[in-house]
This record gives sequence, structure tokens and C-alpha cells, in this order.
Amino acid sequence: MTGASVAVLGVVRSGPSYWFESLGAMLRWYLTSMRLLLPVFVVVQMLIASGFSVGISFFFEEITPEAALFLGTGASIIALILAGVVVAPQLIASEKDAGTYDFSWSLPVPRSANVTAWVMLNAVIGIPSMVAALVIADWRLDLDFSLSWTIAPAVVLALTCGTLIGSAVAHAIDRTSITQLLSQVFAFGILGFTPITYPIENLPTWLGSVHRVLPFYHMGVIVRGGLTDGRGDGMWASFGVVFGWTLAAAIATALVVGRRK
Amino acid sequence: MTGTTLETSLRRGWGYWWASYVSMIRWVLIQQKVLFAGIILTQILLGIGAAIMYKFYLGSLDPLAAAFLVSGIPALSLIPVGFVLVPILVIQEKARGTYDFTWSLPVPRLAPVAATFTVFTFIATPIAALSTFLAAWQFDVTLEVSWAVVPFALLASLMASSVGYGMAVAIPEPRMTNLITNVVIFLVLLFSPIVIPIERFPEWAETAHRVLPFFHMSNLMRSSLTEGLAADVAASLTILIAWTVLGWAVVARVVGRRG
Repeated sequence: MTGASVAVLGVVRSGPSYWFESLGAMLRWYLTSMRLLLPVFVVVQMLIASGFSVGISFFFEEITPEAALFLGTGASIIALILAGVVVAPQLIASEKDAGTYDFSWSLPVPRSANVTAWVMLNAVIGIPSMVAALVIADWRLDLDFSLSWTIAPAVVLALTCGTLIGSAVAHAIDRTSITQLLSQVFAFGILGFTPITYPIENLPTWLGSVHRVLPFYHMGVIVRGGLTDGRGDGMWASFGVVFGWTLAAAIATALVVGRRK
Repeated sequence: MTGTTLETSLRRGWGYWWASYVSMIRWVLIQQKVLFAGIILTQILLGIGAAIMYKFYLGSLDPLAAAFLVSGIPALSLIPVGFVLVPILVIQEKARGTYDFTWSLPVPRLAPVAATFTVFTFIATPIAALSTFLAAWQFDVTLEVSWAVVPFALLASLMASSVGYGMAVAIPEPRMTNLITNVVIFLVLLFSPIVIPIERFPEWAETAHRVLPFFHMSNLMRSSLTEGLAADVAASLTILIAWTVLGWAVVARVVGRRG
């Protein structure tokens, strides 16, 4: 009988294969524990994204193909960003409320595998919403978009960056009501005050400068670049900015989840 | 001694109703101090934010479109208070247990309802006015304000609170009410002919909005703020009154029950 415990202790808890095994297990754990909540989140996000595509098309009486492309791709990019920055903290807050949060982080898996599982979980929410928004926008506005290979790294980077920013906030703040409130503020700020569905020139100069430093505008540039094939001016510089923020957010998340209580 | 006084005191008539109403206003204000401070703050930010946000989205606007947009702001500001904050208040009261306590108080049953509507009207209308003036300034629009703006704003606010309250007391499951308020916010911000002319919507949506109160709220407010931008004001007035009566009927039915 003691043999069993000796065997457990003897298992190597490091190395790439252990990491990937842990990632798979955590992903399974999150998907199972959220099996009721997740479909609702996916459907609600898809509806919001599609609704947003349709809704903003009413703003304009006539719309040029250029503007339509900007608007339609913008709506799908917003859907992607909201999944990371808004839904991720809400899910973490709901885990904290439910009490499963402490349990998940007490499991014997590398914390980086746990965080990666979160990012992938958000992809499950964000990518369908993004596609739904794009399809609906295409139907309403007859978009002339063309995919280029840069869409893959752009989506992965934007999603990872957004999720890490959102989850760093959610991990750091213990009071879930504050996290919920902050996620609403993020949503309002991104929908209304970030130049993703409208050109950055529409903003006052100072706010434009702020957005050249923050990652959200640049997320828009890189994803739009992948959807419009070269229309994103300064796309590579934006890739650099988003990558920098992803690193910073990863470090912040690592510091927060690496804490021992 | 005191017992006798209590038993013989008259518990009906206008004087008693008025006294109950006043004490209920105090009760509503006291139990939700923090909530009201939060509401006022977010409403101001949202109202101002919405006007600025539209400016970013639309870039430059011709004067007619700008006047249309600005005259839609009061409805846009009043709707969340009645359709979202009032239901949230009722949900919170149900969760805390003060809901049942309020109904057990020896006041006429419509006094707490009237007190709630009064408080929310006093919160909602000045903020709506402030947001509208800020928007007018942002878009450089001169509004033609007529005297009708006061009764119309009061009616619009009363209608929104009545329907929101009716919905919240009639639906037993708070999560359901929450979901409906979210849908209302979403539909109102995106799919409502409030800041956008109704003709731009598909026919089915237009038909729906001729029955729903949101378009009529904005139309009525617009008629008192501009000249020539609002049509069929009498129809809008009738429909808003009908929704108000419906809201009150639901409230009266639910709170009049004994159980």
C-alpha cells in the first residue's frame, strides 16, 4: 500500500510532456466545470458581436465600400478583444464566487499551464464570436475582405494579450464585484473610446496618442491587416507593440498567480 | 395608552396617503444611499460618454443629422434608469429581504411604488437634461426647447419606471429580470430608432418599434426639443400613456395580492 504513495511521489513533475499533460487536464477541467456556463457565454458573445455588426450599420445612411470594410472588420475585432478583456475577468470572478478558484490553483500543475488553459478557453469564446460578427457584417455590408496568413498570428496574439491583461486584473483583485465593475468599464472604453471601428483621426489628438501606446488600437491594426491584406498601415510596428504588451501582461500574470498565500 | 392612539388613528384619506408617500420617499432614499450615489455617477458618465462616443463613430455630421442625434439623447439617458436601474433596485430589495418588509408596512400599497417613481424621476431627468445640453454643445446644435419638454420628460420617465417596476415585481426569478434588462440595454443602444431615423430600419423592426415604447419616447422628447424633426406626436403620446397604464396595472395586480 505504501508502494502507491511512493509511486506518486516518484512521478517526475517537470519537463515538456508533464506540462502538456497538465495543460490538457486543466483544459478538460475548465471545460467540464463550465459546461453549463460556457455555451451561454459563447452564444451571448456571438449575439452581441453579430448585433454590433448590424447595429452600427444603421448609423450610416450610405456607406462606401472602404468604410464598410473598416466597420465590418472593426466589429469582428471588437468581439475578439472583448472575449479576452471582458469575458476572461468575468469568468475568473465567477470562479472565485463559486469557490472553485482556489481549488483550481491548488492542483499540482504548472501555473503557466493553468494560465495557458485560460487563454485557450477564451479562444473558444472569442473566435466563434469574431467569425459570427464577420459573417453577419459581410451579409449586411457586403464586405470585400481577403484573408492573408498574418491573420493567424494576429488573432493568437490579440487574444493572448487581451486575456492576459484581463486575467491579470481578475487574479489580482480579490473583491469580485470590483472585477465585474472594471470589466464593464473596459467594455465601455473599448466599444466607445477605442479607434477600432472608426479611424484614429476621429479622436482628439491627445486620446489618439494614448491609443498609440495602449495595445487595443494596435490589436485592431494587426487583425485588420490579416483580414484586408496589406491595408493595415504600420502593421508590423503594431505587431511589436502588441507583442510587448503580451510580454508585460504575461509577467504581471506570472507575478500575481505565482504568489503564495 | 399609546396602543389606543394607534388603533383609533385614521388610516386612509388624502392626508394619510400623503404622509405615507413622504415617509416612503425617505425610506427608499435611506436604504439605497450608496446605490443612488453610484447610479448618479454612472448615469452622468454614461450620458456624457454616449454623446462623445457617437461623435467619434460618426466623425463629422451634417446639421440635420446632428440635431436628430442630440434630440435623441434624453430618451437614451432616461431608458436605462427606468428599464435597468429600477428593476435592479427591486431585485436587490428581493435579495435583501427588504422587499417583503416594505410591503408589510402600514401604508397604502401604492405609496412605496409612487415614492420609488418619484425618486428615480428626480435622479433621471436632470441628468438627461445635462447630457442633452452637453451633446448639443459637442455637436454645435441649437435646440428649440418648448414648454412641453417638462410634461413630456416626466411622462417618459414615469413610463419607463412603471414598465421597469412592473416587470421586476411580476417576474419571480431575478436572473430572468437581469437577462431582460441586459437585452433592453443592448437593443436600445443598437437597434432603436432613437438617434437614428426609423426609416433606416428593416420593415419588421420598424413595425416592432411602432408598438414598443422606445421610439415613441424619443419621438415625444424630440418634438419638444426641435422643430420639424418629429412626426405623429399624438400617436407617441397615446402609446406612452398606454404603456404607463399597463405598467401601473401590472404593479397594482402584483402588489395588491395578499399571500
